[in-house]
Formats: sequence, structure tokens, C-alpha cells
Amino acid sequence: MIIRLERVEIQTRADKDLVDLTSHMERVVAESGVREGVVYVMTAHTSSGILVTEGLECLERDVLAHLERLAPDQGAYWHNRYLDFDGRLGFNAGAHLKSILSGYFAYFPVSGGKVVRGSRQRVYFAEYDGPLARTVYIQVLGLG
Amino acid sequence: MSPMVGSGGIDFHTHPVLVREMVERHPELERAAREVFHIGNVFQPLETFLLELDVAGLERAVLLPIDCTTTRGMPIYTNEQVAELCALSDRFIGFASVDPHDPKHVEALERAVGDLGLRGLKLAPGLQGFRPDDRALYPLYAKAQDLGIPILFHAGMTWEPGVRVGAGHPLAFEEVAREFPALRIVLAHLAWPWVLEAVALALKYPNIFLDTSALYLDNPRDFLAFAMAQQVPLTVWERSLRHQLVFGSNYPRVEIKNMAAAVRALGLSPGCLDLVFRRNAARLLGLE
Repeated sequence: MIIRLERVEIQTRADKDLVDLTSHMERVVAESGVREGVVYVMTAHTSSGILVTEGLECLERDVLAHLERLAPDQGAYWHNRYLDFDGRLGFNAGAHLKSILSGYFAYFPVSGGKVVRGSRQRVYFAEYDGPLARTVYIQVLGLG
Repeated sequence: MSPMVGSGGIDFHTHPVLVREMVERHPELERAAREVFHIGNVFQPLETFLLELDVAGLERAVLLPIDCTTTRGMPIYTNEQVAELCALSDRFIGFASVDPHDPKHVEALERAVGDLGLRGLKLAPGLQGFRPDDRALYPLYAKAQDLGIPILFHAGMTWEPGVRVGAGHPLAFEEVAREFPALRIVLAHLAWPWVLEAVALALKYPNIFLDTSALYLDNPRDFLAFAMAQQVPLTVWERSLRHQLVFGSNYPRVEIKNMAAAVRALGLSPGCLDLVFRRNAARLLGLE
């Protein structure tokens, strides 16, 4: 049994941003030596997400616009208050809610040493409160 | 990205406490960030700071240290560290800070401006444990006046443990403004909750400026709409204080993008916004 965990730092460049992680994920799987198993991609942040969609700029914009409609940045949120452990106010509940809507991880099977995914499927890191340097974990488990 | 308000916009109020490269070079800055500045956010690469400016549509940022060596045992950035960070990017404008309890604080300011190229002085009366109108500080104010640099004072409420809220009352600055009419004084955070008193000072004393870096309730947009358009009429900024207000975010306690969006949403005219985001700061800093 092989278990490999890799930490990847991503510098997002905008307030809202989608960063394609597919090649990162495939590289980690290839380097892991796992032939049959699974791979997980997980964000370490509650104001970001991991999602899977087709790799088209128009869809990327639609995804972010739809999440903004569902969980707008401006709102009468309970989170709009001072957080003494952070030394600042929260006021980013919209980002946290978008994170819940998109989820914090994605899973793909690994077979024959390669990630099993649909031809249109890409895995994205979704930034909802950037720009920030963010941490993503990619874990591969399986048999070599 | 937010729309640009002209080019050359300046954030007059930022703290470089989360810049990872500086913490790696100077490990004591981690303690300064966590135990003195009390910020809990993750350290970020310098690039994040510059991207924050980009996303906010701004060009440059004023970096503020606080020398609270006597009251807290260490400074939040030394003047040398500010100068070191400024050398990493020409988008930074460094301010100095001096410990008011250090008998050589006037000389320290002279060195910071003359040798390190810093362009202003930051003081925080509550955190540094002094009264703004203490005459023992007058030689320092006189030196800043002679050097032609502005002093940015923390004013208004503070969350700082052990510091009285009242330590930031803006009327404590009146004697300084009166005694040093050529000294440019910036009162930070709109001196909230005493916005009306701060506005009264600025109306009376043309050497008093205010910065927008206020956020104590709700979110930047709602808070500034309350503080700048309900506590006082919005027209006071447009008609009377358009040359005495500068944009400040208080980054990283507030993201630059969020505070910039809040100021732009107030309903000020494009000409007034250009003064607030660019021209007033440039004038204070001698960049015009």
C-alpha cells in the first residue's frame, strides 16, 4: 500500500479565481507509483473550494457568477463582527458559503497509474476571497 | 478587478506584518505579528501584498511600523526593516516610528529620514503609552515639521488589550495642531467613534488630515456608509474636507480591495475620489 501526501501552494491573483489543478494532480499520481487506487484533492481553507467542471473560460465565469448569486459577498451575515483570535473583523461569510456550496475536495479513481476522469472534467481550486497564497493537499492511496 | 481611480493611487495605511519573506529573514517578526500586533492570519508572500494593491486598483502603499519597545518589549518592525522591505519593491513608501520613551527619539527620526529614506512618522499614543499633547514630545513634532514629513497618529478606538479606548480621542491632538501649524497630522481610522470631533478638528485646522481606515462593525461598505454618511453628512467630505482626506485600508486587518470598494461606493464625485485616493497622499508625501 502506498500513501503519498503532497502540499501544493497556489498564489491566486484575483478576488475570485479558478485555478486548474488537473496537471498538479496527475503529476502527483504519476510520481506516487500508485497503479490502482484513488486520489483526493483538498483545500485547506474554508473560504475557498475544490470543484470539477469543463475547462472553458465561459463556464469558469458562469460558475463564479452563479455562486455569487447564491452566496453574495455583501449580505446581512452574523459573521460581520470582530474576531479577537484574528485581530480583525470577519465579514467574508459569502466566501465561506461559496466554499460550502462547491465543496472542499474532489475524488478520482486511479487505474493503470493514471487518473480516471471524463475527457471534459478538470479539477479546480476555487478562490472566493483572494488574492492569497493558498494550500491544497493532494493525497494518493493505492497499490503500486 | 475594481476600476482604477486615475493612476498612482496610494493606500496611506498598511502594516507589513504578514509578509512571509520578512518573517523568514527576521524570525522575531512572527512574535511581533502574533503577540504585539495581535493578527491571526496566515503569513503571505510579498506577492500577495502587491496583488492586493492590483486588485484594489492602486499603485503604492505606505508601510507603517510602531516602535513600542518600552511598552511591549519590541517594535512592530524597526525602521531598518521597513527600509529593507521598501528595497524589495518600489511600490512601497516607508514610514518611521520612534519610541517616545527613548531619550534619543529625535535623533532616531533624523536617521530614519536622512539615512533610510523614510517619508513619514507613525505614532500610536495608546500602544506606545504617551499623550499626544505631552510637551515632552514637542521636540519630536518640531523635528518632523522641520523635515517636512507628516505624522500619522493612531486615533479613535483600539482593540489593543490593556489600552484604554479613550486614549485615542481626537481632541487630544488639538494642541499639537495649534502649536505646529506647518506640521501635517493624519488622524487614522477617522478617529472613530469620534468622527464628528475629528471632522471639527479638520474643519478648523488645515494641517489635520483624516484617513479612511475605519472598520469596527459589520463590513467595510456598511461601516463606512455609517461613519462617513450618517455620523456626519457625506457632503462634508465633498465640500469642505476634499483636500484633507486620504485613503487608508489598515491592511491586513482589512483587505485593501474591500476598503477601496467601500470608499468608492460612498457616492463621492470622481474628482473627490481622485483627491482621496491619489492627490492628497501624493501632496502629503512630497510626491507631486
